[in-house]
Order: sequence, then structure tokens, then C-alpha cells
Amino acid sequence: MSQTPPKKISLAKSALFMYSVYSLVFAIAVLVIVILPAEYNIDPTGIGKKLGLTVFNDVNAKTTKKSERAAETMTIIVPAGRGVEYKFTMEQYQKLNYEWTTDGTPLYFDLHGEPTGDTSGYFESYAIATAHNMKGSFTTPFAGSHGWYWKNTTNSPITVKLTVKGEYTKHGLK
Amino acid sequence: MVNMLQRYGWLSFIVILAIWLPTNAIAHGVDDDTRRFLEQNSGVQIIPFLYIGAKHMVTGYDHLLFLVGVLFFLYKSRDILLYVSMFTFGHSLTLLFGVLSDIQINAYLIDAIIGFSVVYKGFDNLGGFNHFFGKSPNTKLAILIFGLFHGFGLATKLKELQLADNGLISNLIAFNVGVELGQFTALATIILIINFWRKHSIFLQFATITNSLLMSAGFMLIGFQLTGYLIS
Repeated sequence: MSQTPPKKISLAKSALFMYSVYSLVFAIAVLVIVILPAEYNIDPTGIGKKLGLTVFNDVNAKTTKKSERAAETMTIIVPAGRGVEYKFTMEQYQKLNYEWTTDGTPLYFDLHGEPTGDTSGYFESYAIATAHNMKGSFTTPFAGSHGWYWKNTTNSPITVKLTVKGEYTKHGLK
Repeated sequence: MVNMLQRYGWLSFIVILAIWLPTNAIAHGVDDDTRRFLEQNSGVQIIPFLYIGAKHMVTGYDHLLFLVGVLFFLYKSRDILLYVSMFTFGHSLTLLFGVLSDIQINAYLIDAIIGFSVVYKGFDNLGGFNHFFGKSPNTKLAILIFGLFHGFGLATKLKELQLADNGLISNLIAFNVGVELGQFTALATIILIINFWRKHSIFLQFATITNSLLMSAGFMLIGFQLTGYLIS
């Protein structure tokens, strides 16, 4: 299959300049009107809100309804020599009953909470110990993500079986 | 060679449509399921890392835009191979080096530079450098340099996931091979479309507007990433 070489674009200098300026202006307009409101909730023109593009940033606020759930059991694997965090998204003063156990190997853990929207890295620990199981409950002092950090210092993965019952919206590894 | 690429292109085009359309295209990102896998993973996992690498390449729209720009006026298989090899070389070098050493560059800044590479290529295709500076920068060198940056970007993201040391090198190599497979797939698809398009007279008419839009998309990427950098 033979192909004729495509011709290059040859534009007059003024046309080239105009195309460059247009592409920049178009980019800025789309950024300010559409992308920044949707991605970062920065909406200097207010058009993003009118178009309904800022909804992505309201999702968290809407889904954090009170929600008592049936007991759930989850299995978490803590890889050898590593730490994992398993957190539950909860409102202030919500309660979680929990029980977790390993195969008998003790794990270092830190049960703690981080406030919503905090970027300073602040967290409050409710319990720090090394154990192979734990049972109890806690009531959140603030809205945020609450749960365990487990650290496995052995050379093989450890499976944690966690059963919870309480009020939370989301849960998962962090 | 072009024939083979085209045949491969048709095949990958169909595969990409089937896989890519239902999922979201994410720029460089690692989605939640992949993240969960990576964080729980320990030991050598060739196939999953191969897949993550390929997926990263096929779904990274900033990267695809750059490839469209690079391939726009390339029509000889030899040129295509050469340019892509330069990119692959740069990319592999910094990916391995970045993960194995402890060098970290902010991901937003890297992505802004990738956006800049799209602007550069669009402007170059419009003949901008020839007009304003009398000559075009060495494209091979430019592609090598952008390849280096892209590898650093990936390395930074993989580092954030705290990959297990156990089997790290094998996993990295699998990831990198996956990236090349994905790149080849994306490339073949883009060549297919551009070649098809070249046969029609509208190609030149739309070349100007396409490359202007490419530049514009590059500017958007820069603005998007720099804003992310400033507010993070």
C-alpha cells in the first residue's frame, strides 16, 4: 500500500498566531467554566453551578445519612511486613460495635479516627496495642473516617476477620 | 509493516472499544480496585502488573493526545518505530530509576509537563516553531525528554502505593512491558484512524483545526494540573 506523503500545514504568520491565541482562549474558557468547577469546586463565573457541574463535590454531603446497618463481616489481608488501614466513614456521635480476630498471630494496631476534610494529618487514637483479637465498641467524637491500622511485622500475610454492626456510610481499605 | 500494523490496529480498536468505553478513561490515575490490589499485593505477580501497565497506557488520555500529535505527520513505519522507541527508552529508564531510588517529583507538576508536551506537539505540527524561530526543535530529542518525564510521573504514582519490596523488580519490569504493550495497541489504533483519514481530502483542511484543538487540550491539562498542585 503506497501512501503519498501528507503535506505539512503552511499557515501565514498571522493565521498561526490567531490559531495559537484561539486555542489558549478556548482552553482557559473551558477550564474556568467547566473543568475547575467540576474537579475542584472552584467556580469563579458561577456558570459551573448553574450547569450543575459542582454536584460532584456535594456527593459526600448527601450520602452521609444516618444509616444503621445489619452486621457485616469482612476479611482483610495484612501483607507480610506491611501495614494496612481499614476505615469506616461515620458522622459525629455514631456508634460502632466490632469484633476482630486473626489466626492467632498478634498484630500491632492503632484504632483511631481522622476528622473529615482535615489535611494536617491529625488523628485521635482510641486504642493502641498488640493483640490477636479485640471486641468492643466506640462512639465517634467527630465526623470522619474511623478504624484500624494494623501492622504485620512477620514474614507471612495475616488475615483479619472483622465483624461490625453500627452506623456508617462507607467502609474500605485506605 | 504498515499493513501488519493496520491489521493489528483493527483488532485493538475493537478490543479497546469493548474494554475502554464502559470504564472511565483516567489520566494516569490508578482506580480504586487496582489500588486495593496493589496495596494488598506481595510477591511476584507478572500478569496483573502487565495488565495494569497496559491499562494505564490505553486509558491515559493525556498520553493518547501526545501520541496523536506525534503520529500526525509520520507516515513511514521506520519513523514511527524510531520515535516510539525513543519514547519507550526514556519512559522505561525513569520508571525503573524513579521507583528503585527514592526520588519523588510532584505528580501534578509532572502531569502539567505532559500537558505542555501536547501543546508543544500541536504547535510544532502547525509549523509554529519553523515560523517563529526559523527551525523546529529536534523532535526525537523532545520525545526522549518527554518520555523521561512520563516515566518519572509513573514512578511517583507507584511509589505512593508503597509497593512491597518482595518481587518489586520483576513486578516493575512486568508493569513496564505492559506499558509498552498498551502503547503499541494505542499506537496501532491511532495509526489506523489517521491513515484512513489521510486518504480523504478533508485531511489537510482538518489538520489545522485538529492541531489547534490538540494545543488547546494541552493548555487545559496544564491549567487543570497546576490548579491541582496549587490547592493540594
